[in-house]
Amino acid sequence: MDRKIGIFICSGCDIGKSIDISRLKAVAEKHGAAFCREHPALCSKNGTDFYYSELENKELHGVVIAACSPRSKAGMFDHDRLLTERVNLREQVSWVMEPGHQDTQSAAEDYLRMGIARVAGSARPVPFRDSYHSSEILVVGAGITGLTAALEADSAGYVVHLVEKADRPGGYASKLAGQIPYKEPFNRIADPVIFKRIEELGTRKNINLYIKTTIATIKGQPGNFEVTLHGAYNGTIRVGAIVTAMGMKPYDPSALSHLGYGRLPGVLTSVEFEELIATRRYSEIPGRVLFIQCADSRDREHLPYCSNTCCGTTLKQATYIREHNPSAEVYIIYKDIRTPGLQEKFYRAVQGDDAIMMTKGAVTGVNPNGNQIDVEVKDSLIDEQIVIPVDMVVLAVGMVPTATEDLNLQYRQGTGLPELKYRFPDSHFICFPYETRRTGIYAAGTIRAPMDIPSCMADASGAVFKAIQCIEAVKRGEAVHPRSGDLSWPELYMDRCTDCKRCTEECPFGSYDENEKGTPIPNPARCRRCGICIGSCPERVISFKDYSINMMTEVIKAVHIPDEFEEKPRILAFVCENDAYPAFDMAGIKRLSISPYVRIIPVRCIGSVNKVWISDALSLGFDGILQIGCKPGEDYQCHYIHGSELTEKRGKNLQETLETMMLEPERIKTVFLEINEYDKIPGIINDYLEEIELIGPNPFKGM
Amino acid sequence: MAGITAAVELAEAGREVVLVEKEACLGGNVVRMNSYFPKFCPPNCGLEINYRRIRSSRRIRILTQSTVEHIEGVSGDFSVKIKTAPAYINDLCTACGKCAEVCPVERPNAFNYGFGKTKAAYLPHEMTFPFTYVIDGTVCLKEQCGKCVEVCDYNAIDLNAEEETTVLNVERIIIATGWKTFDAKKIKNLCYAAPNVVTNVELERLLAVGGPGEGTLKRPSDHEIPRTIAFVQCAGSRDENYLPYCSAVCCSASLKHALTISERCTDAQISIYYIDLRVSGRNEDLLVKAENNKNIRFIKGKIGRISESDDNHDLEVEAEDILSGRKIKERYDMVVLATGMVPNNPLEGIILTDSEGFLVENQLEGIVTAATCRKPMDVSESVKDATSAAVKSIKTNF
Amino acid sequence: MLRIKPDIRFKKEITRISGSPLGECIQCGNCSAVCSLAPEDRPFPRKEMAWAAWGLKDKLMGNPDIWLCHQCGDCSTYCPRGVRPSDVLAAVRKITIQHYARPGFMGKLLSSPAYLPVAIAIPVVIISVILMMAGTFRIPEGPVNYSKFFPHIWLNTTFTAMTLFFYGMAFIGLRKFWKDMKRIIPAGGRKSTLFKSILQVLKEVFGHSKFSGCKSNKSRNLAHLLTFFGFVLLLLVTLYAIVASITHHYPLSFTNPFKILGNIASLMLYTGITIMIARRLFDRGNAGRSNYDDWLLLISILLLTASGTLVEAARFLEWGWAYHLYFFHLVCVWFLIMYLPYTKLAHIFYRTLAMVYARSVGRL
Repeated sequence: MDRKIGIFICSGCDIGKSIDISRLKAVAEKHGAAFCREHPALCSKNGTDFYYSELENKELHGVVIAACSPRSKAGMFDHDRLLTERVNLREQVSWVMEPGHQDTQSAAEDYLRMGIARVAGSARPVPFRDSYHSSEILVVGAGITGLTAALEADSAGYVVHLVEKADRPGGYASKLAGQIPYKEPFNRIADPVIFKRIEELGTRKNINLYIKTTIATIKGQPGNFEVTLHGAYNGTIRVGAIVTAMGMKPYDPSALSHLGYGRLPGVLTSVEFEELIATRRYSEIPGRVLFIQCADSRDREHLPYCSNTCCGTTLKQATYIREHNPSAEVYIIYKDIRTPGLQEKFYRAVQGDDAIMMTKGAVTGVNPNGNQIDVEVKDSLIDEQIVIPVDMVVLAVGMVPTATEDLNLQYRQGTGLPELKYRFPDSHFICFPYETRRTGIYAAGTIRAPMDIPSCMADASGAVFKAIQCIEAVKRGEAVHPRSGDLSWPELYMDRCTDCKRCTEECPFGSYDENEKGTPIPNPARCRRCGICIGSCPERVISFKDYSINMMTEVIKAVHIPDEFEEKPRILAFVCENDAYPAFDMAGIKRLSISPYVRIIPVRCIGSVNKVWISDALSLGFDGILQIGCKPGEDYQCHYIHGSELTEKRGKNLQETLETMMLEPERIKTVFLEINEYDKIPGIINDYLEEIELIGPNPFKGM
Repeated sequence: MAGITAAVELAEAGREVVLVEKEACLGGNVVRMNSYFPKFCPPNCGLEINYRRIRSSRRIRILTQSTVEHIEGVSGDFSVKIKTAPAYINDLCTACGKCAEVCPVERPNAFNYGFGKTKAAYLPHEMTFPFTYVIDGTVCLKEQCGKCVEVCDYNAIDLNAEEETTVLNVERIIIATGWKTFDAKKIKNLCYAAPNVVTNVELERLLAVGGPGEGTLKRPSDHEIPRTIAFVQCAGSRDENYLPYCSAVCCSASLKHALTISERCTDAQISIYYIDLRVSGRNEDLLVKAENNKNIRFIKGKIGRISESDDNHDLEVEAEDILSGRKIKERYDMVVLATGMVPNNPLEGIILTDSEGFLVENQLEGIVTAATCRKPMDVSESVKDATSAAVKSIKTNF
Repeated sequence: MLRIKPDIRFKKEITRISGSPLGECIQCGNCSAVCSLAPEDRPFPRKEMAWAAWGLKDKLMGNPDIWLCHQCGDCSTYCPRGVRPSDVLAAVRKITIQHYARPGFMGKLLSSPAYLPVAIAIPVVIISVILMMAGTFRIPEGPVNYSKFFPHIWLNTTFTAMTLFFYGMAFIGLRKFWKDMKRIIPAGGRKSTLFKSILQVLKEVFGHSKFSGCKSNKSRNLAHLLTFFGFVLLLLVTLYAIVASITHHYPLSFTNPFKILGNIASLMLYTGITIMIARRLFDRGNAGRSNYDDWLLLISILLLTASGTLVEAARFLEWGWAYHLYFFHLVCVWFLIMYLPYTKLAHIFYRTLAMVYARSVGRL
């Protein structure tokens, strides 16, 4: 071996009792280790002292630490000069396999060899640095969200470019007569916070406001976006990250003619009604007004989601009517009154007005009756069928997110942010709500989900923080979420590239652009380091310093395949390092029994598994290949959006490979496992072993 | 979740962070959950990413089993007094589990809300972070026993450890102390004392793989699989007598629970008694999914009374089924109370609250409040709020 | 299809009387669920709360359900909004009594303290006029003998006639009430004959069975029981006294069993009324809101009993102002008997009728 590797074996936590360490050391030495040291408790004070003193003054390429899971005692063996690789003898071998058994010993030896191969095949990453780095932030849209984002960024010491297509900042929030109360006292309509924010804007020197301006193009990558503006201001600016706060538009009411809109003069939307109040046209509001909640929302025909603010808005508007006309009567027909949290107190306060009356019910007709409007309601709390004669009907309309195509991203995968559902941008909206699929571009406010003003402001602050964080990470050459801190990045060996475009199509984050010929142009700062492009490339073009086709091939080759007469099958399991790998650890912590015939290889994402690895493994004699990834589909759990979905898709391709190798289709199996489903692991493996037993050993064995 | 989020986000933006947690492991209420709505994914998935972010960051110092005693000073120069419970097991622990094997004392499994038992030396849960065993000092026999000390190969146990007080100097403070579930014992008429009446947070553990049923929902009284289950929405919330506000998450949570149970046990009959169904945004899809499930029934009507049958711990609930105009009395194997959120205030007197005990936005300059201690919200909102608190805490022009 | 015309003044009136923020009801149905008296089909008081919040007077006035409520207060105790449905129903009952009062002004007369002087003046004047017509409008000489002041023949005939007049008027209002009940809660489910229903209801009334189901208010059961049977006994004694005054010697001696019974009845009334007053004064949370009509009734019963006792005592002790007391006692009798259809005591009619109706249509 040309690369010198030091090896440490910890015999603590029953490892020494379960595995013959001396035989393990022999394996290490046989594989050309520079040295191999054993310690009874490598994580103890004495152990770490031993570890670091042994490494002193040694010229090494890397170190293999065969001990517990890398999830345990993390960082303890990190070295600022050397590659370190943890071999998980504890959770993956000694805690789950029969102590002292030959098969257990084989597993341990294989894992050690695999670890050595992994270090040998890797190099220390060199951080990616672009030719230019900007720490400035672009905020698109100067509504409540955009303004808040700009102000927060400025407060944190960053220069902001705030672009607004209208002729003044403020957006929809500035058109409101008042704001739904969001803090005590909840019984009073709040003053719109937007005007204070606009005022503040004028006092900030580091915020450049461009009104009547739109975005012509956005090119580049985090740290170095080139943004061309068009309109009142024409020119190009460079920014490090982008917050998109383009807001919402109200649902198109022309689709609501069944509720009288456009058909009857007294029917208007809540947005139009708000304008009546904001412009103080109180005289146009008649004596009896009826509000229809969820006029479009919560309706598969219109907006399938709840727009979150309409109930509060109606309560607010009802209050206005009553304030300006003491003899007015207000009726509200709702499906459910949704005033979450302390807004319940506002609901109660409004209910306290004797002339505001509410009932659950379904509006079945809005019909003219002379100068009046008859509203028919069924299943109300009053009676099965009621008719309410009124003078005006207000339709509480919901929010539709603004199309992000207006960002005009010059990305190969499209000009907008990829969407998940109902035109809202795709993200892990529960745990990591800001991570869109365009690195460095953060969606905030009503563009991301329907929300009220306080929520928009919190969202703006959060998004701008992520923008700042991205700028700082890119400056250090590090990846952002979820592999934050990772210094590796994809490098392309273009000589082999056939311009097949698979990487440019399949990258979940649109990292690759294309030239006219279809040749990929990488943008490493957009990359999240999932390695899906490695999985998609048929030509071994793409590699990371510490994660590559060749490195993995060596790792696979490091496993000793017993010949078929031993009747000891070997299964290779590629497991997602994010969820499946921790699940294997938990199986270990729970001391579940796992077959010693399986060898686990953690991968960055199941979508990063390259066909070559599988065909290599099969030609080496592995009897079966398991790919264990995260759940795909609408409720996907893959941290890289569609890694596991791609694995499913690529399955067909793999089957062709199997055919050409004259192997049975069962030799490859894909399983989706949640992180909590550790209890299922022994079963998954045993079931697969049974399947393999039925079809018999791999004929390539021993060839 | 909010505290972890704020800490990792700040650390990744280059800030030094001290994370103070009163329990032995991170994750608060969230780590006890079986799944999130609306995706039915396990919280440990996102938490694992965050743990990894903590592990790979050198800027986060974690103090578990610690509480804030006092805060002094001004923005930019706070002095925070922190009390840390005795560290009977220190960070030399390898989580090998020998101590628990020999420990003679048992205690209720607090992580599972008292369902089941652990030893006095225990691992809080499989995914616990930091990954070490803990000794419950309130039940440990200490020097009278000492068996764990004998078997520990790593000198990780010191039964004479003492409580420690640390004074930290920090520039900003983020408070993300979250919520506790409303004490259902206080609710008259809902029979929480009965074994088969559980709260929604307890149900999370009853459903969880690491819970008492190991992933199979069993009712506490006889460990039978319940076939009929009632959900009581607004158990305590939206109620002048208890919590006058809406806890914002219970409807979605119950929909999640109902759908989870229905998927696992296809013949289970589930009834959800509600006042208003409050699910936000696209969580509406959950409601549609549940409405289309023939085994899930919605009854508009708050449950007025629950009584336990004498023979087999079944429950009888009384409500008005408002939409059909009938008063109903129905028998269930199990009842789940959708109890609400009560904010945690780490330092009464210093940290200001509104009339319901929620921490207000305007605190002493340099102190930022985040997530559910501020108002009821779901996990996604909490993450967002924590990230937002992060940017507020790095303001230069406070 | 029901056309909705909210009567905001009616809603405000309920709010005023009940003191309940009835608009704040969230229609959770908890009240119907905890009510031990609400029938299975279309239970109360949740729907009544909705009608009240929408000011639907037509739906509430002839609604038998509001009379099925015995105001135990369980619904108010458990109401999540503090809306106090039991007080709302009590207010609706009060308005109902005024609504069906014939002649209409009489309902008004007894609904507000402003009209109290008039309400007092009416019996004072009428009794004085009767006395003048009888020619006995002066204090008699000699030992106390009330028949010298108000001859029995005059007393029995005039008071009977007046009673017949007022109760005849009440009958007209009650007939309308019966019709409205049929409209608002049409027959549904199993039915029962009117005769059977009446028997059942009488059994319930005398057994006080509806009270015992209430959980929030146990002492109320006892108080009402004592007052109710106190009155029943007094009614018996009075009837006997009328007969006695015609057939043989009157007044009754102290040892007369009826006299003893009468005194026991007074004791029962004292106890019952004292409990009721004490509850309204010291246990406001459970007792519900106390209004003018509540106090008017309690105080007039108390005064009636007290004046009765004093009148009796005055006769034996030969007090000088025995006749003044007697006059006062007669005014009290008037308040209770003649004014019965217009005061809270009218619940004797409304509740009984509503219960009979409810039985007959299978709601009970």
